[in-house]
Amino acid sequence: MEDTELEVSPTPSDQNSPSPSSSPSLSLPSTPSSSCAPPPAATPPLGVISEGVAELSLFIDAEVAQRACQEVLQKVKLQQVEGDVPSQHSGAKPVPNSPPVALTASGKPMKIREQEDDPEGLAPGSVKSARRRQRHNPSKQSWLLRLFESKLFDVSMAISYLHNSKEPGVQAYIGNRLFSFPHEEVDFYLPQLLNMYIHMDEDVGDAIKPYVVHRCRQSISFSLMCAWLLGAYSSDMHISTQRHSRGTKLRKLILSDELKPAGSRAHRDPLTFSLIPFCPTSSPATGPGPLGGDHGLSPSKRTHQRSKSDATVSISLSSNLKRTASNPKVESSQDEPVRLAPQREFIKSLMGIGKRLATLPTKEQKTQRLISELSLLNHKLPARVWLPTAAFDHHVVRVPHTQAVVLNSKDKAPYLIYVEVLECDNFETSSVPIRIPENRIRSTRSVENLPDCGMTAEQRAGSFSMVPNYDNDDEAWSVDDIGELQVELPEVHTNSCDNISQFSVDSITSLESKDPVFIAAGDIRRRLSEQLAQAPTTFKRDPEDPSAVALKEPWEEKVRRIREGSPYGHLPNWRLLSVIVKCGDDLRQELLAFQVLQQLKSIWEQERVPLWIKPYKILVLSSDSGMIEPVVNAVSLHQVKKQSQLSLLDYLLQEHGAPTTEAFLSAQRNFVQSCAGYSLICYLLQVKDRHNGNILLDAEGHIIHIDFGFILSSSPKNLGFETSAFKLTTEFVDVMGGPEGDMFNYYKMLMLQGLIAARKHMDRVLQIVEIMQQGSQLPCFHGSSTMRGLKERFHMSLTEEQLQLLIDQLVDGSMRSLTTKLYDGFQYLTNGIM
Amino acid sequence: MSQVEKKAGLLRRTSSSKKPLKEKVVLMYDEIFKEDPAKHNSRFWDELFLMKVNLEYLESKLETVDGEEVQRIQDNINSLFHHCVQALGEEHQIKVVNALQTLCALFRGVHQKNKSASGFDIINMLMGFDKAEQRMKDLMERLDSLLCGDGSESLKSLCLKLLLCLVTVTDNISQNTILEYVMINSIFEAILQILSDVSSRGQHGYDAVVLLALLVNYRKYESVNPYIVKLSIVDDEPTLDGMGMVVHQALTEYNRQYKDKEEENQGGFFSTLTSMVRFNFHSLHLISKYVTNEAILLALYEAVHLNRNFITVLAQSHPEMDIAATPMTPTPTTPTTPLGTTPPSLDMMNNPELPLDPNLLTSNLLITFLKYASIVMQDTKDEHRLNSARLCLIILTCIAEDQYADAFLHDDNMNFRVNLHKMPMRHRKKAVDKNIPSRPLVCAVLDLMVEFIVTHMMKDFPMDLYLRCVQIIHKLLCYQKKCRIRLHYTWRELWSALINLLKFLLSNETTLLAKHNIFHLALLVVNLFNMFITYGDTFLPTSNSYDELYYEIVRMHQVFDNLYCMVLRVSTNTGQWKEAASKVTHALVNVRAIINHFNPKIESYAAVNHISQLSEEQVLEVVRSNYDTLTLKLQDGLDQFERYSEQPKEAAFFKELVRSISLNVRKNVSLNTLSQDVLLKEFSTIS
Repeated sequence: MEDTELEVSPTPSDQNSPSPSSSPSLSLPSTPSSSCAPPPAATPPLGVISEGVAELSLFIDAEVAQRACQEVLQKVKLQQVEGDVPSQHSGAKPVPNSPPVALTASGKPMKIREQEDDPEGLAPGSVKSARRRQRHNPSKQSWLLRLFESKLFDVSMAISYLHNSKEPGVQAYIGNRLFSFPHEEVDFYLPQLLNMYIHMDEDVGDAIKPYVVHRCRQSISFSLMCAWLLGAYSSDMHISTQRHSRGTKLRKLILSDELKPAGSRAHRDPLTFSLIPFCPTSSPATGPGPLGGDHGLSPSKRTHQRSKSDATVSISLSSNLKRTASNPKVESSQDEPVRLAPQREFIKSLMGIGKRLATLPTKEQKTQRLISELSLLNHKLPARVWLPTAAFDHHVVRVPHTQAVVLNSKDKAPYLIYVEVLECDNFETSSVPIRIPENRIRSTRSVENLPDCGMTAEQRAGSFSMVPNYDNDDEAWSVDDIGELQVELPEVHTNSCDNISQFSVDSITSLESKDPVFIAAGDIRRRLSEQLAQAPTTFKRDPEDPSAVALKEPWEEKVRRIREGSPYGHLPNWRLLSVIVKCGDDLRQELLAFQVLQQLKSIWEQERVPLWIKPYKILVLSSDSGMIEPVVNAVSLHQVKKQSQLSLLDYLLQEHGAPTTEAFLSAQRNFVQSCAGYSLICYLLQVKDRHNGNILLDAEGHIIHIDFGFILSSSPKNLGFETSAFKLTTEFVDVMGGPEGDMFNYYKMLMLQGLIAARKHMDRVLQIVEIMQQGSQLPCFHGSSTMRGLKERFHMSLTEEQLQLLIDQLVDGSMRSLTTKLYDGFQYLTNGIM
Repeated sequence: MSQVEKKAGLLRRTSSSKKPLKEKVVLMYDEIFKEDPAKHNSRFWDELFLMKVNLEYLESKLETVDGEEVQRIQDNINSLFHHCVQALGEEHQIKVVNALQTLCALFRGVHQKNKSASGFDIINMLMGFDKAEQRMKDLMERLDSLLCGDGSESLKSLCLKLLLCLVTVTDNISQNTILEYVMINSIFEAILQILSDVSSRGQHGYDAVVLLALLVNYRKYESVNPYIVKLSIVDDEPTLDGMGMVVHQALTEYNRQYKDKEEENQGGFFSTLTSMVRFNFHSLHLISKYVTNEAILLALYEAVHLNRNFITVLAQSHPEMDIAATPMTPTPTTPTTPLGTTPPSLDMMNNPELPLDPNLLTSNLLITFLKYASIVMQDTKDEHRLNSARLCLIILTCIAEDQYADAFLHDDNMNFRVNLHKMPMRHRKKAVDKNIPSRPLVCAVLDLMVEFIVTHMMKDFPMDLYLRCVQIIHKLLCYQKKCRIRLHYTWRELWSALINLLKFLLSNETTLLAKHNIFHLALLVVNLFNMFITYGDTFLPTSNSYDELYYEIVRMHQVFDNLYCMVLRVSTNTGQWKEAASKVTHALVNVRAIINHFNPKIESYAAVNHISQLSEEQVLEVVRSNYDTLTLKLQDGLDQFERYSEQPKEAAFFKELVRSISLNVRKNVSLNTLSQDVLLKEFSTIS
């Protein structure tokens, strides 16, 4: 059944592309002509519909609907023209028009389809029901339509209407409208979309599905993201229903890799073809216009495909022994199913490592094991794999295994890895970089290329193609002969170090002069202590807390160091990413928190209130595994206190300078702004388990809360205490200059402004949470009052003065709260966290 | 199969009859030595290779042939050789086995007979000059395809045995002219393939690696050896990794045996029990292989020395293979998935639930090698051990010179506990194993060097090893200075070991001078101190450590004073050591300056404060407050060193080493390990 549904559902998009071989993305040029044609030609078919569907139809309504749709169409077209410039959009655009086209112009065929599979025929359905509704309440309907057409109508609203509207027509319309939103904006709501797909009724699911399927066809990463989320959010269903649920079916479909782009569509041709005669634009079966357009694009299509096959070759190369992979036959047979495989394998092996680490008793063993496992993983890289938490397209080329650290956790083994990637235009089509053996480090090269980091994109692209092929052994031999390294090295390091010890380095050159050179022993000793003092404060290595040292190192420093040590470091598009791999933890709540944080952040930005928060990206892989984007340049307050043995204020003074210096003042301001942000977050989301291990301090003085395992209705071990609204210890207040200080008042003012701004856009926040509550067993939704409680905390009814009072109370309460202190003590006793 | 029946009959007859009723195969051999055997029986050669080979008889027969007879039967021997090579291409595996063994006997027998003969005569006798090239080409091609094919593992093993037999047939490998053909018709790729595949590596890895090490040493210094060239450019990671695994396993095996023996000596019911249990895991022939490990060590050396890609393999971590000798057992079982050795296939990824023993410590080749070196270096009286120790130090020298190796040796994130073996000595207790902290690997290397320095001050002074040892330390210091790596190492131990070494040189001056240039060693040692004194600011971990350096020098000032007196005396006399000694006097200038500067200060401090014995803290205080009035001389070239080069310095050592390895391998290549019965059993199931 599912298959046939799928065969049908993409058809509306196919109608524009009469040529059987053309993919939706390739029919692009032909669409303007096809959509210009409808207005005159469309009226009769509409009439047909109105006759067929409703005996008594107001002609004007149909016209309104039609105009509305055309406007949408027009807008989409406009967007399309703009959107064609960035390459990744080009694939998505043409389709958005096709459903509306079907809506306006499809005559008989649609009617036929309605009769055959009514729930499935979305496009006509929307017209039909819209009209039906219009009959009841024409004014409301037109208002709604106008809203939908307006510029203000954004994804957030679309999602909200999709969730709240009981009208299948509206839902279907929004389902189509999704196509016209920028991908990134829809992606933000992907968890909501998929959760609705899984847990809500058929109509919503049917409205969403075409969009999801379409995007899956386009993008590997979207496919995988959907598959992971579908799996994760289906897991709360009862096992028997789960197996047959829509979510599970769609997940299977995606993972079976049925949803392939262009090339694999051949077997659907009959269907596509049969619809062509009904295509309103081309009166004969294969109109010359669209075909010509298709031809015009075909060269680009061909190159596109070639690069893809190149890429798949390198996948099979990296995933198989070279001997077999060099056999062209093997490659071609592997060409297709390998689309999703490398990334899935990559993720799987990262999870496998986590599972195996969990069996080891000590941190030290875990760390060693992690390093050795990752070094093996390196053998399989580079490959067409990427970190989904990254913001740009790339290929993973190497995992600097010795840099990986096991994080502090009692029974699970989350770990942090750094990942070297090469940025590329598109990870699906750009070819996978060639492997460079581990020991081909060119220190000179990496130094030469370091300034290149700041060059423009064109330069970068240019120099990338210039990069020689390092597989050439002769070249490798001659360039980094071991003998040369001796000479190279001192230069490298005088470059990076300052002139403190210039003297010692210069001694080599003093070979030339015959006069004896004298040095004072005192100078040597002084240089030694100066250099040691100058070195940035590092934490002492502690085998029981390996992550402290790794996290303390400034990110730029780490990037520089890893880059120098990497065989890929000389490449201009080299980047370093990091990711925390969590195995055995449910990150769905974290994802929810991330979304709320992100939403609040953009609200505050929009309202120009300087509250600072740092949402960190979450990747949910299943209901018990996932990845987290680490916050760079940050260590936990626990680590700060344990390593420095100082109070927070003293530590900040040590790191940034005296209380009157600009460095300290800006750190203090950052601290206050972030405190205000997170205080509000903690209050609104009822974030619990706020011990010092869960609060980070970054190099600029911001605090960052992590671990949103206990939010909304859940609290650790259901211990009643930790009742204060948020964590505000005297130490925090001290950093802000005491409860009477200006900064403290600033803190309270920020909170007020933040709350007012958040209140204004409350719906955007509520909606995220509300949709995720559907069908969820997550502890944060425990009980019935979760949503009500959340809504109440926005205090819509209070005046601003009252709000100010409320903030004062909250701050006062938190400051005087014994429970915070108690809770820290409790954590110290149970988990050894200071 | 009538032939098989015949064969069975034959076998029964040989086992039952004690009378000199000759085996058929022996009769056939006799025939070869008389006239053209195919003259009367056209199927002679077919039949011959169906007979079980009588190696002893054939070899002895070849040995007894004297000069004139040689001329007469040369054609027949050529013909035998020719047919052997042809039989290698047969489908019938028994024939292939017999042909391989016959070839072995031919090579051995002919060489045995003509020890003094030139290589050309031997080639002529075996193959005939005009046809030699073709014959050897065929032979190598056949062997290559047998080794790379999907055939029986026993056959592959036999092929490698034949090659080992051929390579070691002369004492001096470079005089083995037949190898010239092995150079032209390379089997390098076949060896690599064996090493890259997990299962074949498990079964044949050891032989393949030894073979490679020997081939690389053929006329190393005289001509262009293609194996050297090829080995130096291999960059396929699975292959290099495989090679590393073979070496790793062999060394691990040795380490374990040593440990077992040690535990046994210490007694205790439990230890004997475990060693008994463990003993069952080794087949006997494995033990005989591991008496000395120079062959495998030579392979490691060649890989490290020639191939820079191999350096990465040293640091490749593997969960320590405990009782993972299973893949090395010669029985052709499917090897258990060795942890972490699966070549880059999706195996591991598809199988996230690998068998895992949480008690396993992660190890790597370098750690195993360091442990091995610590055992071998304990006792250098035995010549094999001396050679092994020397080779270990040479390998360490190469490692210390490699930038990449240095990088991971000093990598602060790669910490390991390395349990080095320490010689039990009267004046020190055996360190408790458990307390070794986890540190960067370079600490283990330095520990090993210190350990060596402390334990080898004996009459029969291993000067050469000491020089290498001190040079390795010097190279590591140079790296640290250049890269400004502040290693948290207890440098004090090194300093006191070096000072003790100087003391030993002084007290044994006369006996040592008879054999060695002690001034060179003294110079190197003093220059190590100069490194610390002048460049300490670039690599010492704390400012305190610089004070401690001065403290140690001042505390042991007598040693330096005596050394100065001695070198001054020698350098003012005219003699062989004049120049060497005067270099030491110059090198001592800063050490003497320190002593002369601080000693009076300390004395006056003691006098002022009325303390007879200053505590360490007090001395350090004096040192700290008096730096500024001390001026040192900057010495040239302290951070420069002579790079290691095998030729010409080490050439003699390696020649001798290869000779001894050849003898050893020849002795241990046992073609008889594969009994005919085993083969028959195996092949009956195959064919």
